Amino acid sequence: MLEEKRKRSTPIRRGLLPIFLLVVGFLLAFSYKTFQSNDQELLLTTWTEDRYRDQLLEEREETYELYEQLNERLTKVKALERQFDEADERALVLKLNQLRLLAGDVEAIGEGVTVVLKDAQYDPVKQNPNDYIVHESHVLKMVNELKIAGAEGIAVNGQRLHARSSIKCTGPVITIDGQTYPAPFVVEAIGPAETLMQALELTGGVVDQLSSDQIVVDVQREKELTLPSLRSIEAGEA
Amino acid sequence: MILPIASLLIGFVLGWLTDFQIPAAYESYLFITVLAALDTLFGGIRSYLQRVYDDKMFLSGFLFNLLLAYLLTFLGIHLGIDLYLAAAFAFGVRLFQNVAAIRRLLLTKWTQSKNEFERENE
Repeated sequence: MLEEKRKRSTPIRRGLLPIFLLVVGFLLAFSYKTFQSNDQELLLTTWTEDRYRDQLLEEREETYELYEQLNERLTKVKALERQFDEADERALVLKLNQLRLLAGDVEAIGEGVTVVLKDAQYDPVKQNPNDYIVHESHVLKMVNELKIAGAEGIAVNGQRLHARSSIKCTGPVITIDGQTYPAPFVVEAIGPAETLMQALELTGGVVDQLSSDQIVVDVQREKELTLPSLRSIEAGEA
Repeated sequence: MILPIASLLIGFVLGWLTDFQIPAAYESYLFITVLAALDTLFGGIRSYLQRVYDDKMFLSGFLFNLLLAYLLTFLGIHLGIDLYLAAAFAFGVRLFQNVAAIRRLLLTKWTQSKNEFERENE
């Protein structure tokens, strides 16, 4: 009985196996195609990423080269200046240096004031955090007041400001000339310290105004301040 | 022997020529189907070598395994767990077991026939 049954089931019936193999072949090819097309998409995205990365690296290299060129030119300019200096055009060179100081092209050292603007302590009564953080308008107000009072050079958080600097609000931080900075903001200004102090501390002046906006303002007079030059920051960024 | 191989090739060509895209969400189903088919194929070969092959067993085994695997995949997608991996694991383990069994069967067959050959020559 058992033997018979075995014998009967031994040969694979002609119909089923080929059909099943047809299905298997179809599935294999189909899934290969399906998953491969996914791979290609992935490949495409990584390829694009790679290309952008290469572009970025190229640009960086170019920037670096341009900076080297710039430095070369600057040394040439310096040599020319020395010639002028020797050729008794001292007044011209002095004026140039002064203008450079004002433009922020070179490091500036001198007396001045340091103002630190800090967010107020967290106050659970105040629902809106906007009511007690330093906004870009506050920094702007401070900077403008310092300029009006006669500051010759200003830096915020170590970033030297120039004539066309921008101070923008970008969410919880502020952007100064493309660099983002968080609070607290340290505004350093070189200029007549006495005048600057008095200008800031006028009754109803900028310190009072900021204090009424819940900002912690800390003004300090400095005997000697050093402001970085504009270029050193840009070079560091590159 | 020719017919199965030919049908495998035809199936392959058909699958290759099919210009049909399945949505990414159903890719796990396709994956599990392929695994189930391979598992059933090797299971069939094994049972054939063990002389217990049966058409009904073969087909019903394939369909029921597939059904259970689909159920797991479906559940997995809706529960946010990769449950189809459980089915994939089961199929994978069985695939290896079946292939090992086929290898053992073929080896014993081969040594047996070799022994018989030597005995006849003696």
